[in-house]
Amino acid sequence: MPIVNIDLEWLNRLLGKPFPPEKVSESLEQIGCDVEEVVEITRSRCPNCGSLVENPLGQEEVKTCNFCGHESEVPFERAGTSKVVRLDLLAARPDLFDVGGLARALHGTLEITTGLPDYPIRDSGLSLTVDPSTEDVRPYIQCAVMTLPEVDETSLVAIMKLQENLHWGVGRDRKLASIGVYDLETLEGDITYTTLDPDSEPFVPLGMPGRPMTGRQILEEHPKGEAYAHLLSHLPRYPVLRDEKGQVLSMPPIINSEETRIKVGTKRVFIDVTGISRSAAVKALDTLICSLAELGGEIESVRVVQDGQERTSPDLTPRQREVDLEEARRWLGLPLNPDSLMASMRRMRFDIEALAGSSAKQDNRFLVRYPAYRTDIRHMVDLLEDIAIGYGYLNIEPRLVRSMTVGEPRPEEQVGQRARQVMIGLGYSEIMSLPLTTAENHYERLRQDVPERFARVSNPKLKAYDVLRSHLLTGLLEALYENRRRPVPLRLFELDNVVALDDEGPTRTAEERRLAVVEIGPDAGYAAIRTAVDALLREMGQEGRYQAIEHPTFVTGRVASFTTDGQLQGVLGELHPEILNRFNLEYPVGLAEITLHRIF
Amino acid sequence: MQNELILDENAYAVWEQLLGSDGPLKVAELEERTGVDQSQVTAAATQAAQQGYFKVEERERQELVADPQAEAVLAKGLPERQALQFLAESGQPVPNGQLAGWANKRGLPPNEVFKYGPMRGWMKRVKSDQGAALELTDLGNQALEEQDDDEKALRLAIEAGGAVYLDDLQSRGVDPARVEKLLGNRDELAKIKDRTQRLVSLTDQGRRMMEEERVKVKREQTALSSDDITSGAWRDITLRRYDVTLPAETAYPAKIHPMRKIMEETRRAFLEMGFSEVVSPMVESAFWNFDALFQPQDHPARDMQDTFYMEHPRKVDLPEEKWVEPVKRTHEDGWKTGSEGWGYKWDAETSRRVVLRTHTTASTIRALAAHPQPPGKFFAVGWTFRNETISYKHLPVFHQVDGIVIDEEANLATLLGTLQAFYHKMGFGKVRFKPAFYPYTEPSVDVVVYMESRGKWLEMGGSGIFRPEVTEPLGCKHPVLAWGLGIERLAMLRYGLNDIRELYRSNLDTLEEVALCR
Repeated sequence: MPIVNIDLEWLNRLLGKPFPPEKVSESLEQIGCDVEEVVEITRSRCPNCGSLVENPLGQEEVKTCNFCGHESEVPFERAGTSKVVRLDLLAARPDLFDVGGLARALHGTLEITTGLPDYPIRDSGLSLTVDPSTEDVRPYIQCAVMTLPEVDETSLVAIMKLQENLHWGVGRDRKLASIGVYDLETLEGDITYTTLDPDSEPFVPLGMPGRPMTGRQILEEHPKGEAYAHLLSHLPRYPVLRDEKGQVLSMPPIINSEETRIKVGTKRVFIDVTGISRSAAVKALDTLICSLAELGGEIESVRVVQDGQERTSPDLTPRQREVDLEEARRWLGLPLNPDSLMASMRRMRFDIEALAGSSAKQDNRFLVRYPAYRTDIRHMVDLLEDIAIGYGYLNIEPRLVRSMTVGEPRPEEQVGQRARQVMIGLGYSEIMSLPLTTAENHYERLRQDVPERFARVSNPKLKAYDVLRSHLLTGLLEALYENRRRPVPLRLFELDNVVALDDEGPTRTAEERRLAVVEIGPDAGYAAIRTAVDALLREMGQEGRYQAIEHPTFVTGRVASFTTDGQLQGVLGELHPEILNRFNLEYPVGLAEITLHRIF
Repeated sequence: MQNELILDENAYAVWEQLLGSDGPLKVAELEERTGVDQSQVTAAATQAAQQGYFKVEERERQELVADPQAEAVLAKGLPERQALQFLAESGQPVPNGQLAGWANKRGLPPNEVFKYGPMRGWMKRVKSDQGAALELTDLGNQALEEQDDDEKALRLAIEAGGAVYLDDLQSRGVDPARVEKLLGNRDELAKIKDRTQRLVSLTDQGRRMMEEERVKVKREQTALSSDDITSGAWRDITLRRYDVTLPAETAYPAKIHPMRKIMEETRRAFLEMGFSEVVSPMVESAFWNFDALFQPQDHPARDMQDTFYMEHPRKVDLPEEKWVEPVKRTHEDGWKTGSEGWGYKWDAETSRRVVLRTHTTASTIRALAAHPQPPGKFFAVGWTFRNETISYKHLPVFHQVDGIVIDEEANLATLLGTLQAFYHKMGFGKVRFKPAFYPYTEPSVDVVVYMESRGKWLEMGGSGIFRPEVTEPLGCKHPVLAWGLGIERLAMLRYGLNDIRELYRSNLDTLEEVALCR
């Protein structure tokens, strides 16, 4: 989960009064933020693109720029410190990714400003034409123009950080949607969203002044190109934004051009979001511009011509949804009345009004208008959550349901507990091992043939975890190996579930609870393990019927299976010396595995 | 006077020895005859003397302690005795210069000859024509035949092991005063030391006690034998006193695994709250693991990156149509749940894919489908799987516990109440709540508990009320409370472990140190 640093002084400036850090932390927590801590952080300046980079916590030196990708041998020059509150980003709430969005929310819960925020939109006069060739490449585009209060270094960092975090939280690392921000002063005339030939239309990418590169060169040689090459490299043409004189703004979702980048002093910006998901593109743009508006930006619209149709972007018309007071009371269990309901909603920066109706029932209905950036709301319960947060979790009186229910444990847990008690009484210690292993460890090391089919994972990140265990013996032998320096005898057991393929099972698998028991020592062997198994069966009220069997894991003539009248059954014997060698064990080992309960 | 005296074996041996002796015995003699060491003899004597049974007399004596060299010196003859022989053989006075030359030649100190010869009266100083000389006396002539007193005393001391008391010499025909005079300053031969000696004897009272058999012995032992116990002999046996403050040997019991113990505590907490335990397969369909929880089919959590997909079994049949159709419709357009849905075309094949369950919510959601009518409380504990690499913080396999409450009164307030009760049972006295955002609950709540041992607040687990998009397709018309918790994290906090891998390394040195009550 990425972490964002929110500048406390800036946040307080936006709130209009200085709140102490503890108050800010607590308020942020109570709107759902994960506050890590309040700390002093250092910033460094990238010598290549001039951006301010936040030092990762505890790191004195920064050598990589996360904006242009520049890597330096020597640490970047330091550029000041500030007090910040560190937050885990909430993937579900991109509107709380930055200082602007957080200030907007706190305005509500701290009752500085409540109700729906108003973002007036002027016409920028700019148009953007979408070329049909983008259809098969990256079909969706949203855009806007914004006039910003003069961009200084702090706001430049904040804009770029928000852009980066929206790429993560909404764009799914630029795949679904990616954002470009450009200095409008550097552009001429209207803009076209089209495609370019990867090999013949070079431009100067961000961070490479004076060095024109083709699309393919960028993917192969530019640090950002390499990082995101997988998003374009399979395509015949790459998406590109150009102005009227043909100057490249960017090659989404990889990189902007050097010429059009925003810098300190930039006043007016053009913003685009392209993507393969329309909803992600809309969400990213709306979230970004509404947050920038909180920082003093003014939003302007752009005329978009696509497929012969014209539309205006952005569209920040508030959405609306009904909420029912009765439902709110039922779902939340809070003593809400129309006034407290409406106050809670307004604190969450929503508008709400009672719906006039003829019957008393209808008087319980309210119409909520919520901002476009709250794309997480897709059901009335999402509004109910906001009511609860607006009401304040700290104000809720916890209580219990009154219904009476009788708790029942699972049978395999019951029988497992009894078995555990007996084994501990016999002096065996419980171990637990992981249920994932490899075919080699699970079968071959125990001299067993690898079955043709077994519960196997197709995509393990670690090769050591691709088999779901079908017996408990490997874990116990690995435990003996782990403890091979300990004095003998050593007595261990494990109780857990094992899985086998079974077409009759609910997911084509069968699962059962087993007990496995092991003893190592000069006197360990069939007789000693048989004594333990007999003791277990006796305590479980069962009698074992033993039968000699052949089993590659055990010494021939010293291995048996047993059954009982109940569900208990199993195998026990003396471990084959070849396996002792494989596990570096120096004494005989007696081993038993018992099925306690078939689960399904 | 006491009727009966009970002694340990050592003291009794001292009493016995005194009874059989004619006169007083020295402590050293008692030690030698009884085999009881001197400190215990002294202790027994002192105690008996205090009770009036023994008389202990202290005697100051002088002991002649022979130097280890003395035996060799005597064998060759003292310097003055060798000079005596020389004078006798000369038959006339020998001038001092000649005698000194003779002594030097034999390696004898001449000054000892000139000092002790006349002092013993064996020689006298005379004048000869060659100046001062020594001449043999009558006593000297006698001395050629007989040893002097100090020589006798030294020999007696050497015979007795190196020492003899001066007052014992008289009876052996040796004059102690002459011995003291001759040897008092000859440290190279012997030293005379002052000694205090205790003489122990029975008083009449003590003797009567013994004769009337009123002194009993109590044997002292380290342990009682089986015979000692059954025969009643233990009555006469004293068990040796121990220093009970010394450390004992270390022993560890066979015990339950620390992880399992927390899982058992968790189960008990739920059972005590009236929850029934449910299970579901570890190998689970994407339908129950994801779709039934309204997780869109393109959700990143469903990526191969994060989830273990099975090679065998690869796909399974979907469950009953009564669940599949509403789940599908809810994903697509919200069905009749009042939701917008996800707005995509739901794919049955994606839902048939088989995964290793990523959470135990797969178990509770199956329980909800099977029991959609209130009231119902269910919980599940089990292994869950995430396709992650291993680190001190993460394992690809770990345990979760999940609980749900299906109830007419299920709501946010009762969710908080239930969580509070649960976490109290888990040992956290202070619990608070904050809003959170989880994909299939609305509202969602994070539980923050105060950990006394660490002195800080820690986030414990997620919870919330299932979205209607989750409950309604499964036939449940009521809000359902749900929460889950990773158990390893709890174990690590409780046991103060910094590395999650320790839990499953089966290292007995580590496991033994985890006390059961922690």
